[in-house]
Amino acid sequence: MAKPEKVRVAAIFEPGRGVRPVWFDRQRRQYLVKETTYRWQDRVGDKPLLHFAVTDGEALYELVYSPLEGSWTLLDQQAGS
Amino acid sequence: MSGGPRIIMHLDMNAFFASVEQQCNPALRGQPLAVIGSGRTVVTTASYEARACGVKTGMNTWEARQACPQILFVVGNNRKYVDTSTRIIAMMRDYTPLVEVFSIDEAFLDVTGSLGLFGSATTIAYRLKARIRHELGLTCSIGIAPNKLLAKLASDMQKPDGLTVIDADEVASLMERLPVGELCGIGGKTVRKLADLNIFTCGQLGRYPLAILRQHFGIVGEQLSRMGRGLDASPVVPSQDAGPVKSVGHSMTLREDLCGRDALARYLLQLAEMVGRRARRHRVAGRTVHLVVRYDDFTTVGRQRSRLTATSQSEAIYHDAMTILDSFDLSRPVRLLGVRLTGLVHQHEQLPLFPEERRAAAMAAAMDEANDRFGEFTVTFGSLLTTAEKGSRVISPAWRPDGIRRIDVT
Repeated sequence: MAKPEKVRVAAIFEPGRGVRPVWFDRQRRQYLVKETTYRWQDRVGDKPLLHFAVTDGEALYELVYSPLEGSWTLLDQQAGS
Repeated sequence: MSGGPRIIMHLDMNAFFASVEQQCNPALRGQPLAVIGSGRTVVTTASYEARACGVKTGMNTWEARQACPQILFVVGNNRKYVDTSTRIIAMMRDYTPLVEVFSIDEAFLDVTGSLGLFGSATTIAYRLKARIRHELGLTCSIGIAPNKLLAKLASDMQKPDGLTVIDADEVASLMERLPVGELCGIGGKTVRKLADLNIFTCGQLGRYPLAILRQHFGIVGEQLSRMGRGLDASPVVPSQDAGPVKSVGHSMTLREDLCGRDALARYLLQLAEMVGRRARRHRVAGRTVHLVVRYDDFTTVGRQRSRLTATSQSEAIYHDAMTILDSFDLSRPVRLLGVRLTGLVHQHEQLPLFPEERRAAAMAAAMDEANDRFGEFTVTFGSLLTTAEKGSRVISPAWRPDGIRRIDVT
């Protein structure tokens, strides 16, 4: 994927278990997250970033949540999960 | 801790980078996979499926494809691996504070004092394996033994997903027929030198007259003799007890081989900034700047230059590195550059005397402040603006989860 893209995400913030994206929408299509396959943390300067590898059963996506900005970005997409 | 018998554990993540990628992407599970760097296409880790076809770390993609035509390549994501490793180390620290990180995917644990809380070493090992599998979906091999040498040997015995215990009373019989090259710390060169003395197994090494070993290997002879008998008194040293670091350095394999001073200068500036920045962050300064140049034929040459006063300023490091660079043959293609600062002064706080020095220090401080907030190389030297890839692209073997050896990767 060429360009990171801000996306609308529905997520569950569960006490003690962190954040779990449930769906995201992009270009008027909603993608249901069937599985979060991996998660990791990162930091750019003093800004923590939470990365989620998620699949809708068709492709693999990388969503990034910025707790400071309260925003979600779709960073990457790979075909055929 | 008393001088009684110890219980040491060695945990080794199985095909670490490749396993993380397979966990991330379900389509890669069960497939022969190689994780490669973003610049040069060298295999950094191969999955067990790829290893079964003969793919090895260090092969280039062409060699890997020759060995395994169906192999899949994935460009590694170092930040993902660093975070995963940090989480695994945190899990280990739940069982003992005595955790020595050996590399990004290996660590030693001294669990001697933890048995009262958790029962037995095997219970701790099974719990750790279960947590790593449950929380990350990854497997590891664990060895349990009376010392680090044997724990490392034990973890290598069953891969992947193994648990091997070497009890004190079985050490002698195990070592008797074990090839010397199986021990961590005995490399190919030493194996050949030992073979010249007709020493092939650890049993033979342990029985060999110490005086002759000393003759051939100097002070290492004594250590080799102890290793042959399965003895190793070295403690598990957590990073906070490891003592001050002796150097701060970065190296960089260039995207392509480069010739000439100008082409190399911008990489040296980048390396000098990375070294200076890490030194300033941890308040150390160095009196000696080292430069390492590796040519395209893998010949590696290192030279150094000492200064009157210790520095952590990137420009000063860069100027010294450039002076050293001018003493090298730059007509030959260069594939790797490395800059290192040694002769370190810790808790360094230099008050510049002259206005020019004060301005330079103030500028570095302002750049550091901006980069701390917005990320590395957000504010940088003008000549680096056009450089597409900045920062450390490989995880150094010296990487540690905290302190000055925690190197931020891109």
